[in-house]
Amino acid sequence: MLRHATAPDSTQPLDPGSCGPRTGLRLQHIRAALFAVALAFMAGGCSRSGGPEASPQGSGVNLSTVPPSAYPLPAAADAARFLNQASFGATEAEVNKVRTYGYSAWLEDQFFMPGRSHEAYINTVSASLAPGQSLDDSHVMNTFWREAATGQDQLRRRVAFALSQIFVVSLQDSTVSEFKRGVASYLDMLGRNAFGNYRQLLDEVTLHPMMGLYLSHLRNRKEDPARNRVPDQNYAREVMQLFSIGLYELNPDGTPRLVGGQPVETYDSGDIVGLSRVFTGFSWAGPDKSDTRFFGGGMQDPDREVLFMQSYPSFHSISEKRFLTAVIPAGTNADPDGDLRIALDTIASHPNVGPFISRQLIQRLVTSNPTPAYVARVAQAFDAGRYTSGLWSTGTGQRGELRATVAAILLDPEARTAARLADPGFGKVREPILRTAHWMRAFNASSASGNFLLGVTDDATASLGQSAMRSPTVFNFYRPGYVPPNTSIATAGLVAPELQIVNEVSVVGYSNFMRSAVQNGLGSGSPRDIQPDYTAELALADNADLLIDRVSLLLTAGSMSAATRMIIRDAVNSVAMPATNQTTARQNRVRLAVFFTLSSPEYLVQK
Amino acid sequence: MRASRRHFLKTASLMSMAGVAGPFALNLAAIGAAAAQTAPGYRAIVCLFLYGGNDHTNTLIPYDQPSYDQYFAARDTIAIARDQLAATATGAVASQGGREFAFHPALTSFKTRWDEGKLAVVANVGPLIVPTTVAQYNARSVPLPPKLFSHNDQQSVWQAQAPIGEGAKLGWGGRIGDLLAGQNANVQFTCISAGGNAVFLSGQNVIQYQVGSSGPVAISGISGTLYSSASASAAYRNLITGTSANLFENELGVVTNRSITSNQLLSASLPPASTFPLPNPTSNLASQLNVVARIISARSAIGANRQVFLVSLGGFDNHDFLLTQHTQQLTIANAAVNAFYGWLVQMGVQNDVTIFTASDFGRTLTSNGDGSDHGWGSHHFVLGGSVLGHEIYGTFPPTAFGTSVDIGQGNMMPGIAVDQYAATFARWLGVSDTDVPLVVPNVVNFGTSRYLPFL
Repeated sequence: MLRHATAPDSTQPLDPGSCGPRTGLRLQHIRAALFAVALAFMAGGCSRSGGPEASPQGSGVNLSTVPPSAYPLPAAADAARFLNQASFGATEAEVNKVRTYGYSAWLEDQFFMPGRSHEAYINTVSASLAPGQSLDDSHVMNTFWREAATGQDQLRRRVAFALSQIFVVSLQDSTVSEFKRGVASYLDMLGRNAFGNYRQLLDEVTLHPMMGLYLSHLRNRKEDPARNRVPDQNYAREVMQLFSIGLYELNPDGTPRLVGGQPVETYDSGDIVGLSRVFTGFSWAGPDKSDTRFFGGGMQDPDREVLFMQSYPSFHSISEKRFLTAVIPAGTNADPDGDLRIALDTIASHPNVGPFISRQLIQRLVTSNPTPAYVARVAQAFDAGRYTSGLWSTGTGQRGELRATVAAILLDPEARTAARLADPGFGKVREPILRTAHWMRAFNASSASGNFLLGVTDDATASLGQSAMRSPTVFNFYRPGYVPPNTSIATAGLVAPELQIVNEVSVVGYSNFMRSAVQNGLGSGSPRDIQPDYTAELALADNADLLIDRVSLLLTAGSMSAATRMIIRDAVNSVAMPATNQTTARQNRVRLAVFFTLSSPEYLVQK
Repeated sequence: MRASRRHFLKTASLMSMAGVAGPFALNLAAIGAAAAQTAPGYRAIVCLFLYGGNDHTNTLIPYDQPSYDQYFAARDTIAIARDQLAATATGAVASQGGREFAFHPALTSFKTRWDEGKLAVVANVGPLIVPTTVAQYNARSVPLPPKLFSHNDQQSVWQAQAPIGEGAKLGWGGRIGDLLAGQNANVQFTCISAGGNAVFLSGQNVIQYQVGSSGPVAISGISGTLYSSASASAAYRNLITGTSANLFENELGVVTNRSITSNQLLSASLPPASTFPLPNPTSNLASQLNVVARIISARSAIGANRQVFLVSLGGFDNHDFLLTQHTQQLTIANAAVNAFYGWLVQMGVQNDVTIFTASDFGRTLTSNGDGSDHGWGSHHFVLGGSVLGHEIYGTFPPTAFGTSVDIGQGNMMPGIAVDQYAATFARWLGVSDTDVPLVVPNVVNFGTSRYLPFL
């Protein structure tokens, strides 16, 4: 019934037992992960029994019975605006669904919507490679675009993409890039936890081998004073600075807590040293815990890149571990799993986590500069594990629940009230990936191969200057606190993260990329693999205003200004409708409307 | 002083607004008051930023036997074998008590420039607010740079003054640009990054201009026929450069407008990339330096007399695989910098351009098994025909634990402040003594040693 219902994957066999991180129950905490897999990918994901990747069915949620939120059924423009925050971009079908059932029903539906596995996609590709061919980064990009464009579990995808920009691993790292399947599995893991609990997410992020490689705690050894060797501190530092609590103590509204007018640091070098000892003695999974396996040699488990790391007690520090509020005394028996549990419990229970994570998720989904009150309301939902709007309520009541957090972000008055649109500091610059995915969705792009063969788009000169899962560093493509120097934004005291990758080069690359995409489609092949379907727009092409109405609704949630509309109308009307060969004229009129809108600053800022 | 400073800022501010309307409006005559800070001819500095925190210990290695033994004992499995260092050894360095050192084996061209007297080492430089001892650091009894050991923050601290850390808005390259832009006919080509967005080049008035490593590229939609329409391209340019009440929309229009006007000027002036053949191995860094060379080559055409450039190379956060990955990155840097110096000689401007390295931080002396962790002070290189080379400035501390500069794990308390390093370049470019503290305010805390004698 969905316009973007996914194509059956039953022809794509899933290698039995190759599901994204599974461990054969080697570690206790993985059982919870498997349970989450079962919930999240009920019909489409991985299962130990293997078999074909089944075609995902609907969520099973009866939309008519979901209690209404505090908001009335939205008009089309409001629904589109909501979808631009909650998905990879509005489509006609989803707009109609939100209008018909309301926000809460759409969210409830999405919370239980099954989806396809990136790892299964990679496995399928891998199995079909000709001799001498190997996986490359493009394959990870392909499955990302396929799901961004056509996945029915859009909210999960959008939140997972947001999480991938907080809990960063990157194919730009030469070690990580050897493991395309591992990176696909990491992205699956983020999606699986997108509506789960933060503590579980932190656990799986920490133990995923791609993170272990990226932040080098995989095969990290305990100290050896005789050789002046200490544990690698990389993960200990970044897990606190970037994935959980940040550098300074926060108030519940996300503002720094000041003591004597000064911010208070959350940790110092001593905490890093203490915590670094926890992250020792973890390495590749496999059927044994031999030293050779720890160092990555010998007979490697063929699935090691998608299996959570396992502990190797002989490499785990038994020294005292003092960090934050925790002290793990020196012992005689190494207990890597026990120490890890204490460490992640300690970090996850820090009061900073709610505001720290909430604010960044708001920035990724809704607006770059949320008011402290908005952050506080979302952090409250994070802490309470529950969110209520009108008669609708969601969440288990467990602290750290991301389902309640996401609902709180999207249904907050600051996200929903149209009055905010007039605030000159409201909204966020759309990042290039979101713009491109939105174009695919708004115009029902389809892939001739079914595989969405658009590869790496790093090159800012000729493409997007951004590729999913290819951040330059663990600090993401841009920082949440980025202030573009010498601008009215800086003067106003605001941040604009996405502007960190907007520059004199990137504006050229994007414009030229889109000019070509709008006319020729995207991706490899000739004709290009990914083609838009402008059928509905072509039907309106004789009337510039009707055409612009439709494009404006889908791309700008109907917010196009009169001045912009006038420029676009003139451009569309500059292509006269001839007596003959009207098809070409109509095509060019549609291309002008779409390309102009996609290039307009009003579109480039999601509001 | 204060009054003339304000006057300058006001003038430049008016100028930068005028610059939107007409790029040639910002000429030397119109900004005469600021042109007092003039030195004849052309001069430029090029910052090579090594992102990730370069492992300084394996970049310049103690080589005389006792010093090497100390290094080897400290570094365990991440030490470079001494027999690999013979070709890049410096010989005895008198200023360091006759100790000998060796460049990383990949840095062959650095060794050549050293021998030619064109390359100097600045030892143990890092962010400081005041001269600081280990005891003062341990007691937190003096002001310290914030968020030490954090990548993004220390990148900012190296590059920028205020506010310090992530979110900084004023880089010292940009501040130099503020003070010297009056000598350029086109202010937008004062501070140029070929190495990505860096706060280093952001001034109060001067805006960093980012250029791709392949040189300027045009927006195709603003000229010619667009989807069969002859008139749409002009409308398209209006659309994408328009103003808006929304601050983000407005800024997108500003950047796009700057891109279009700068591109038109530059693309008309730059020689082809092939003028400066890329080295082997080639790299993105070599391409960045190639476009810098092309811009320097066009200095007369674009009216540039003082310029600050930034290029960058990542991959230096070697917590793991230090020996192999560090070698790879230094091999790239060696080839690219060698080629660039050759291009400068080709243009006859090797005495007018100074290249220097910078990085997030140095790294621990301790091994973590396969790499090193985040540190503080680090050794850096300065290269160019005007550099008083074949010398190590500052004090190269013993490569050992428990020294007077060891703040733990062999991390070095810097002996030279970034502000002193920066002040030296600022003065060389022509910033007056009285204005240098406007570039690096904390330099006044370093008494009479505001400048280092390498330039």
